[in-house]
Amino acid sequence: MNDQWMDRLSEYVDGELAAEERASLEAHLATCAACRATLEDLRKVVARSRALDDRAPKADLWPGIHARLTPGRRPGVIRSRRFSFNVPQLIAASIALVVLSAGGMWVALNQPQPARDAQVTPRPDGQLNSVVWTSRSDAAIADLQDVFERNKSRLDTSTVRVVQQAFATIDRAIAEARIALKADPGNAYLNLHLADTMRRKLELLRRVNAIATAQS
Amino acid sequence: MADAEAVDTALAASGDASAFERLYRTHVNRVHSLVRRMLDADEADDLTQDVFVRAWEKLHTFRGESAFGTWLHRLAVNVVLARRKTLGVERGRFQGGDDPLEHVSARRETPEISMDFEEALATLPDGARQVFVLHDVEGYRHEEIARMLGVVPGTSKSQLHHARMALRRYLDQ
Repeated sequence: MNDQWMDRLSEYVDGELAAEERASLEAHLATCAACRATLEDLRKVVARSRALDDRAPKADLWPGIHARLTPGRRPGVIRSRRFSFNVPQLIAASIALVVLSAGGMWVALNQPQPARDAQVTPRPDGQLNSVVWTSRSDAAIADLQDVFERNKSRLDTSTVRVVQQAFATIDRAIAEARIALKADPGNAYLNLHLADTMRRKLELLRRVNAIATAQS
Repeated sequence: MADAEAVDTALAASGDASAFERLYRTHVNRVHSLVRRMLDADEADDLTQDVFVRAWEKLHTFRGESAFGTWLHRLAVNVVLARRKTLGVERGRFQGGDDPLEHVSARRETPEISMDFEEALATLPDGARQVFVLHDVEGYRHEEIARMLGVVPGTSKSQLHHARMALRRYLDQ
């Protein structure tokens, strides 16, 4: 047995030896039965490791996972119609809304700005102007929805069904947020929630349309 | 099907837990197997849950450049390695003094113990085990493994060779 080469056999198996070393090792293999046998075993180990079966956990882990998912990320949930905030929270939320509305939504839409777009600024009475950016988002969603309707035949029917179910869920969340905003138009949380939900629908539409387009 | 998984990923990223559950059902066996092979079996369930919760939290960063399974698997490796750091199990494992050949062969010589390949893998010392799983089972390169584990590539190669030499005794089990 030649320990020097025995220790290099894995590198040989993996094709990581330089040409000169590889030639020297192959010359050694021609005369060393022990190294040849070990080399064969190592190749079998590599093949065996690549053929390992994945095994399921003994118990279903989903209930524990589901319980830990952040409920706030669900688009269809407005957990309360009554909200109370302290002044710093309201200021922070208002700033976040303006940034999100004037910046994030415009960037997310990523399309030429039609003339109907306007600056998003808090109204003089302190209420936040959500009408402009929601109408802008509505138009973008409608455009993307048209694209989806044209391209959905490229997707599996189960895909279309899942996507439409998701649209329905998101649409319900948007409708709920708008109803709540009618009663409380200056509510920063509701404005943020509506913007976030519409952004989710835009992103989903873009993704589905990209997948459908790629199927051609 | 690829388009369904892609859309499920998008739906989950939009907050759809049902879509995320479908992704979980598709990938849980692979993730659980990875975690079980890299850590102790009794931690596999908890760590697998951590992986999926982390994936849910980070789904918004998934842009579809790779398959969701690839992205999830990389995330799982990161969660496992972070867990190892928390446990401190990696300390001293790469500095020698823990010969996988001796470790496994001692078990093998006990006649009443019959281990299959997976069980033998679990008896490897942590360093050799991590490298073997990452390289031979998961397909990472030595340079990547060295970065992940904080060792030099030569150490990764050495650990891999020792692990293979130990495991060859279990090929027929």
